[in-house]
Amino acid sequence: MPASFVRDGRLDREAAAAEIRRCLDTILRCARFHLNYRVDIAPTLEAEDLETAEIAVNFDGPDKPLLLERNGDLLKALEHIAVRWLRLEPQLHNRVRFDCGNFRASRIAELRLSAEVAAERVRQTREAFRFQPMAARDRRIIHLALKDQPGVRTGSEGEGDMRQVVIFPADAK
Amino acid sequence: MKELVEAIAKALVDNPEQVQVRAVEGEQVTVLELRVHPTDLGKVIGRQGRTAKSIRTILGAAGMKLKKRLTLEILE
Repeated sequence: MPASFVRDGRLDREAAAAEIRRCLDTILRCARFHLNYRVDIAPTLEAEDLETAEIAVNFDGPDKPLLLERNGDLLKALEHIAVRWLRLEPQLHNRVRFDCGNFRASRIAELRLSAEVAAERVRQTREAFRFQPMAARDRRIIHLALKDQPGVRTGSEGEGDMRQVVIFPADAK
Repeated sequence: MKELVEAIAKALVDNPEQVQVRAVEGEQVTVLELRVHPTDLGKVIGRQGRTAKSIRTILGAAGMKLKKRLTLEILE
């Protein structure tokens, strides 16, 4: 049974980062991926900071294209396994972020921009706007990007892989 | 690649000593059969099958490098 990396609801970053290294070293060696990575531990964290995770892992190396293929499938899979490996509760998942180059960072920028454009359209048309289904971590970016925007509110509809963010006019039922 | 599935599964479950992986080698496909303690099944499958899907993605990428198809079967 591995040690818990959470104390009083906070992530023990040093211990968690060390375990992430163990996890990645094992997987990269067994899978023979030619990748190296850097683990950065954020010194401080704002409550709902979108840009910085507490533990940021950045990959590089000859197998980088493999990592980013099909919309970063392998990158996301490694992150998912690492988070399960640490046994983090769902609400702490976003404290760990895997990236490669600027792949994840530019996805976040793209989502925030889409959110703003869609919100503007909802304000003008007063009609709800539905995004394509997306992963929980991406939906979260949209919800957070619009949480203080006037005139709109967000919700999610559908189940599983089909769950999608909907932007409503703020006064709609 | 058996070692890969074994290492990941052992880290995710509560009963690592019960993790068994068998590789069934075919000409183009290798099937990796994973058995875990019944109470650990959810740990290797994950919500909406995300953990199993992630392991399969990692296996798929590793297989691409070996020019071999690797399939994961989680046996109950």
